[in-house]
Amino acid sequence: MNPASLESFLALIYADPAARARFKADPAGEAQRAGLSPEEALALSSLNWSDLQLASRSFANKRRAKSLSKRGRGLWQRCLRALRLAS
Amino acid sequence: MAVAAVAVAAADAVGAGAEMMPASQDRVGIGWRPELAAGILEHLDEINAIEVLADDFFDAHDREIRALKTLASQVPVMLHGVAMGLAASSPVSERFIKPMAWLYERIRPESWSEHLAFVRAGGIEIGHLAAPPRTLQNVECASQNIRRAAEIVGAKPSMENIATLIVPPGSELPESAWTAAILEAADCDLLLDLHNVLANGSNHSYNPASFLNEIPSERIRGIHIAGGRFISAPDGRSRLLDDHLHDVPDPVFDLLQQTAATCPNPLTVILERDGAYPPIPELLGQLRRARLALTRGRAQQKVPLGMPV
Repeated sequence: MNPASLESFLALIYADPAARARFKADPAGEAQRAGLSPEEALALSSLNWSDLQLASRSFANKRRAKSLSKRGRGLWQRCLRALRLAS
Repeated sequence: MAVAAVAVAAADAVGAGAEMMPASQDRVGIGWRPELAAGILEHLDEINAIEVLADDFFDAHDREIRALKTLASQVPVMLHGVAMGLAASSPVSERFIKPMAWLYERIRPESWSEHLAFVRAGGIEIGHLAAPPRTLQNVECASQNIRRAAEIVGAKPSMENIATLIVPPGSELPESAWTAAILEAADCDLLLDLHNVLANGSNHSYNPASFLNEIPSERIRGIHIAGGRFISAPDGRSRLLDDHLHDVPDPVFDLLQQTAATCPNPLTVILERDGAYPPIPELLGQLRRARLALTRGRAQQKVPLGMPV
């Protein structure tokens, strides 16, 4: 079992909806096409599809939130400047 | 709202009593967010420490770095990274570690932390924290990543347990044993996220209190508290999501008290809130509840704080 190979495959199905759909349709085949061993493919078969959907949605939300978070960065500098002026 | 108000009022009432007790080395603080900045700066007398999301400053201008240094001169600051992926089963590129070294050198924070997670693999960015297969091979690689990061940054990180909706396939070890093995192999401390323990326990059918008994309490120095919500999974089951958008639930304070009862180190508890921000008095009320849980836990402690175990 190579955990690095499993991580690569997990990253693929977490981030790519098309790969996730292919995995749902044919888990063993998709794992084999990714170069995973039969043992690793068997381990992946234990994945709960419902949890996988939820996790992927959560990752997508986090990616969106990160792109928004940088917008507010200037606000606290203004607060700190105000604090320095007040003290 | 009524429940939250009552909880805050109760914490205020008991917390006032707790403050009469001898001063503890334990601290409570909050995660720095731009939306909370004004409220935090107004209440530094009630906030002992601040945790800053380091990744937000990796491309910062000089004036932003100066502002952060000003903050660090007023209150203990910890840097918290989210994008190194140090628990990956392959070596982490230095380009993901050097920005932390750059920021650490400039800010000179009290400490820094990262997560027991991988965030990319095979050239694909997941965008957030994912649980790697919990294997002995992973333990070896993760601990090497952590040691190398410590060398590059110039200080050991504390490593945080993550929430995961997925039991990583191919795992050989339970989460507690895997966590303990990495901490031991990397010789680093644990940043214990209690809502993550609660969520994983709820979602994967184990007892969070037992999990706390299975990890090395002598390696805990920092704690995260947060709130989440239950959602329905597509298969109809309920799942606890660690979204940091809700108040800290009672079971997290219970786990905090349990941790304080067994941990021999001074603890720094950080409240994490990432949105749906309530008025600052409500967040301060949660900090007071955290102080109370610490005080109650310390009162149960068999070995006095700071004594070797």
